[in-house]
Amino acid sequence: MNNIEVVLVFVSLFVLFVALGFWSSRFRKGDLSDLGEWALAGRRLGSYLAWFLIGADLYTAYTFIAIPESVFLKGAVFYYAVPYVGMTFGVAMVTMPRLWKMAKTNNYVTAVDMVRDKFNSRTLALIIALTGIVAELPYIALQIYGMQAVLTVMIGQLVTSNAATLTEISLIIAFIILAAFTFTSGLRGAVVTAVMKDVIIFTTVIVVIVLVPIYIGGFGHAISSLPKLPTGGATLAPLYLNGFVSLSIMSALALYLYPHAINGVLSTSSTKKLRMSTALLPIYGVGLALLALFGLLVYGSSKALALVHMYGVVTAVPSLIYAYFPPWFVGFAFLGIFIGGLVPASIMAISQANLLTRNVIKPYYSKMTAKTEARMSKYFSVMFKFIALAFIFLIQATYSLQLQLVGGIIVLQTLPAIFLALYTKKLEKWSVGVGWAAGMITGLTMLLYANFVQFKFTSLATTFFKFNTPLGFLYVGLIALVVNLLVTVVGSAVVGVARPQKVTAPGAGGKK
Amino acid sequence: MTTSEVSVDELSLEVKGTTAQKTVVALLLLIPIVVFALTPLYNQAGPRLFGLTFFYWFEVLWLFVTAAFYTCAAFMLNKMEAGKK
Repeated sequence: MNNIEVVLVFVSLFVLFVALGFWSSRFRKGDLSDLGEWALAGRRLGSYLAWFLIGADLYTAYTFIAIPESVFLKGAVFYYAVPYVGMTFGVAMVTMPRLWKMAKTNNYVTAVDMVRDKFNSRTLALIIALTGIVAELPYIALQIYGMQAVLTVMIGQLVTSNAATLTEISLIIAFIILAAFTFTSGLRGAVVTAVMKDVIIFTTVIVVIVLVPIYIGGFGHAISSLPKLPTGGATLAPLYLNGFVSLSIMSALALYLYPHAINGVLSTSSTKKLRMSTALLPIYGVGLALLALFGLLVYGSSKALALVHMYGVVTAVPSLIYAYFPPWFVGFAFLGIFIGGLVPASIMAISQANLLTRNVIKPYYSKMTAKTEARMSKYFSVMFKFIALAFIFLIQATYSLQLQLVGGIIVLQTLPAIFLALYTKKLEKWSVGVGWAAGMITGLTMLLYANFVQFKFTSLATTFFKFNTPLGFLYVGLIALVVNLLVTVVGSAVVGVARPQKVTAPGAGGKK
Repeated sequence: MTTSEVSVDELSLEVKGTTAQKTVVALLLLIPIVVFALTPLYNQAGPRLFGLTFFYWFEVLWLFVTAAFYTCAAFMLNKMEAGKK
């Protein structure tokens, strides 16, 4: 294959992507020194753009790299991502318009703004903000793994030596460029480039899913060539049923607790448009499902398998594309996967920066002006991108999906403070705080126990806990959330009986 | 601020509608989720489609159904929301 052509197409499209990113600061012009303008694109996104933007939160390296890799390596249990996508938008249809209305009335930029008012507690708000920030880190790291996977195949096929160093340098350059246009354009940059990314990705997925089965003799051939996969190949192994269900339901609850997803929601222009775009988002899941199937298709192709063995399981999708398509298409598809990591990384860093400025620093420096707030967020968004990049260079993960699932365990602990507080005033701040702590401790302890004692892994390789009962495998996030909810609800009830007058938090107490 | 006090913002959060409307919306949102959660229902090898086992293709099909259900729910909710003004 002419690998120079792959790189040429890739680089030209990347230049276009960067140009779009910078141009977008003029898109629906607003005062970018205001946080609402920079971070929420002025709350003016209609159904289509919101669809692309929130879709970009979902259609990430998680979809292109992590899920196919896991299906390839472990089998059917990781197809849980399909029910997850189907369910999560149902959760969003119920919770998000409500949050949107509160945010609009009270000028909230983050969900933590709401937590602060609902519980009238700066400390609880601080805890929830920090939890959100920490939970995003492994999710951003996963994006970088995805980008690295593409570069590994592309650069590995181009040069004979120093491929690893070249890959690292390319990654750093890409991040500097990304940081620069996120700084200038804010969420507008992510919205405009999300459209480009999705056009490329949708085209790629459709072309690959139609042509590859034809080349390799159909899905039937791929399925019958499957080796014995640990969690089942043609169907799900019964032992993993609870694992499958707990992963999908918990992931569905977790997505809209992530600061970046809420950020996307709050940037829409009305609840009507928010509902319509959310309702149509399961269509994105079809692309996700097809990409997950690429993980199985690899087994039908000796060419793709050889590449995967050479470059590692993380390259399942890039290898499959590389094995069958002409150079220009490979360049096109690789760029799609590459910016499929970059765009979400940008959105995630913006939402982390908002939380850090607004909910961690600002409460302690009440004199901060709106301009300072926005400027600070811009610098923090740069900082978070490089923290995630450093994370990748320092920590060698065994397989990428686990990063996102660990983030899930963490972010799920904010469910009582965010989702439940949307509906009830009966939660009491101390109980929510202790529930959070109980959930975190349970989750992290079980995670460590499962990996290093139960399964005796040398690194973090699973988020399942194995029960020697008919329960089988369960996602640690579920157990941690149950503990958290029990403490929160029982605690609130007890305090409610003991001193009823203290239970109610003012509806919009901290409003300026 | 007393226990009984409810701010105006809180009241305007409720979407107004008849019980029948609310039930239909609830079903439109719940049916897709419940079917997805009943994994043993679709954890089958056959019938196959394009060589794919039922487990894999049913979930893709159900995503389309889900989107259709949610869209109906969104239309109804949007109408109910507009109606109250």
